[in-house]
Amino acid sequence: MSVLQLKNVAVPSRLNPVDLELPEGQLVGLVGPNGSGKSTLLMSAAGLLPAQGEVKWGGRELGEIPIMERGRFAAWVPQEAQFSFGFSVASVVGQGRFAHGDDGLGVAEALARFDLGKLADRPVNQLSGGERQRVMLARSLVVAPNIYFWDEPLAALDVKHALQVLELARELTQAGATVLMSLHDLRLAMCLDRAIVLDGGNLCADGDPETVLSNELLQSVFGVKVEKTDGWNLHLT
Amino acid sequence: MKLDERQKWAMPASIGLLVAAMFTSLVVGDMGMSPAMLWAGLTHTDELAATVLWNIRLPRTLVAIEIGAALAASGVVMQAFFRNHLASPGLLGVSAGGAAGAVVAIGAGWAAWSYFTVPVAAIGGAVAATMAVVVLAKQGASTERLLLAGVALNALLGAVTSYVLSNFTLSYERNAQIIFWLLGGLEDRTWEHVLMAAPIGLGAVLLWPLGRSMDLLSLGQTEAQSLGVDVVAVRRRMLVLATVMTALATAVAGMVGFVGLVVPHIFRLLFGPEHRRLVPVSIVGGAAFVLFCDVVARSAGNLRLGIITALIGGPFFLWMLRRQS
Repeated sequence: MSVLQLKNVAVPSRLNPVDLELPEGQLVGLVGPNGSGKSTLLMSAAGLLPAQGEVKWGGRELGEIPIMERGRFAAWVPQEAQFSFGFSVASVVGQGRFAHGDDGLGVAEALARFDLGKLADRPVNQLSGGERQRVMLARSLVVAPNIYFWDEPLAALDVKHALQVLELARELTQAGATVLMSLHDLRLAMCLDRAIVLDGGNLCADGDPETVLSNELLQSVFGVKVEKTDGWNLHLT
Repeated sequence: MKLDERQKWAMPASIGLLVAAMFTSLVVGDMGMSPAMLWAGLTHTDELAATVLWNIRLPRTLVAIEIGAALAASGVVMQAFFRNHLASPGLLGVSAGGAAGAVVAIGAGWAAWSYFTVPVAAIGGAVAATMAVVVLAKQGASTERLLLAGVALNALLGAVTSYVLSNFTLSYERNAQIIFWLLGGLEDRTWEHVLMAAPIGLGAVLLWPLGRSMDLLSLGQTEAQSLGVDVVAVRRRMLVLATVMTALATAVAGMVGFVGLVVPHIFRLLFGPEHRRLVPVSIVGGAAFVLFCDVVARSAGNLRLGIITALIGGPFFLWMLRRQS
C-alpha cells in the first residue's frame, strides 16, 4: 500500500498540480534549483502548508487523521531550525515523543546515532548550524514514523555526517519506512531509490536516479553542463 | 550547582520564597506584628490585630499573590507565543490596554454604574491591545519588531489616557483613581478585589497542561504541528489566558510593570526553559516577587507598587542581559 498519495496537489504561484505516490520502504530524493517548489511540495505532503488537491497518508485523507495521530505517522525536519530558548539538546530530541505520550523511548539511541551524546546537556541555541541540523534529524528519528519528510537535511552537514544520514535513511527504508528528502548534492541523489525533479513549480521527472538525472535534464533544469564520472557513489568507511 | 540539581529545588525554593513573602507581608506595616500577634490576629484572640489582618493585610497580600501570579504567567505565555524572551504584557502594551480601558471607563463616569464596569473595561482594553500586537508582531518576530510594536502601542494607549485626562472635567476622586491605574498599587484592596481577581487561579490551573505544547511551540509553529500539537487551539488558549489574566491583574491593581518580563527570565536562567516547570515556578515566584515589592513599597513610605517593581525589575533585567551577552 502507498504510504503517501498526492492528487492534484498545488499551491498557487508556488507549485503546479502534482500527482505522486510513494510506497512503503522507499528512499526518495527531491531535486531542483532554488525556488523550484521542493520545500512547498514537502510541506504540502507533510500537511504543514494549506494546499489544493488531495493528500492521503496510508490511504486515509489527511483531514480525517487526528493531529496527534499525524504526529506519530510522519516526522518533519525543516531546512533551518530556529531555537529561541536554551532547551537542552536531549530535551529537544525528546520532543519527538510528544505524540507518543512523552515516553522518552529511543532518545539516548538517537543522540548516539547523531554523535550528540556529548552535547546532550548543551543549550540548542549555542550549537552550530550542522549540530542543529543533527538535533532536528535525531528528533525526527525518535518519532519512529511511517514517513520522514526531510527538507535539505544534508545542507549544513559535513561529509561524514551527510553520509551517516544517508546510511540511516537506507536502514529506515529497509525497515519499512519511507523517506522523502530534498537535496542539492546530485552525487548523493544518485544513491537514492528514486529521484523526483522539480523546476519552476512543475514536476518534470520522476524515477530511477540513474535514468532520471540525465545530462540533458540536468542541463535544462539547472542550466549548467554536468558530466557524470565513475565517482558518483560515495561510501562511508 | 548543576542545572538538573537546581531543577529539583525549583518548586520547593519558590514555595519557600512565597511563604516567607506572605509572612513578611502580614507582619510588616504601620503596625508591626510579632509572630504571636499574627497568630492572635488570625484566630481573633486580639481584636485590633484581627481587624488589621482581616480587613487590610490579608486582602492586600492575596491580591498581591493573584496579580504576581497572573503577570508572571502571562509573561511566560507571551514569550512562548512570540518565541521571544522580551515579550511581556507590559512591554507589548497589553497592560497599557487594560489601564486605558479602565481610565476611559472612569473618565466617562461609567465606573459608578456597577462594581464590575472598570474590570470589564480593563479586559476589553487588554483584548484590543493583544489583538493589535498579534497583528503588528507576528510569531517569531524579531526583538526589534516586537519592541517597536510595543512602543507604538504603548504610545497610542498613552495618548488615549492623556486625552481622557485633558478633555474630561474630572473630580479629584476620579483623578486619584486614574493615577492609581497608571502607577499600580495595592492600597485599600478589599475582599471584593480578591474575589474579582480570583479567576486568575482558574487561569493558572488551565495553563498547567499546556506546558509541554508551549515547549514545542516555542521552537516553531510548523515544527510543533508536525509533532502533533494542535497549534491553532493551543495558541488561542494561550492568548486568551494571558490576556484575561493580565486584564484581571490590571483591573484590581493598575499597571504593574516588569513582573512578566523579569520573573520568567530569572527562573528560566535558574531552572531551564521547560514550560512544565517554568509555568508553575513563575506563578509561585511571581506572587512572591510582587509581595516582596509591595513590602518594600510599604516600608519606603507607601510608594506605588509599580514604581518599586520597575526600580527593582529594570536594573535587574539590564544586569541579566549584560550577564547573558
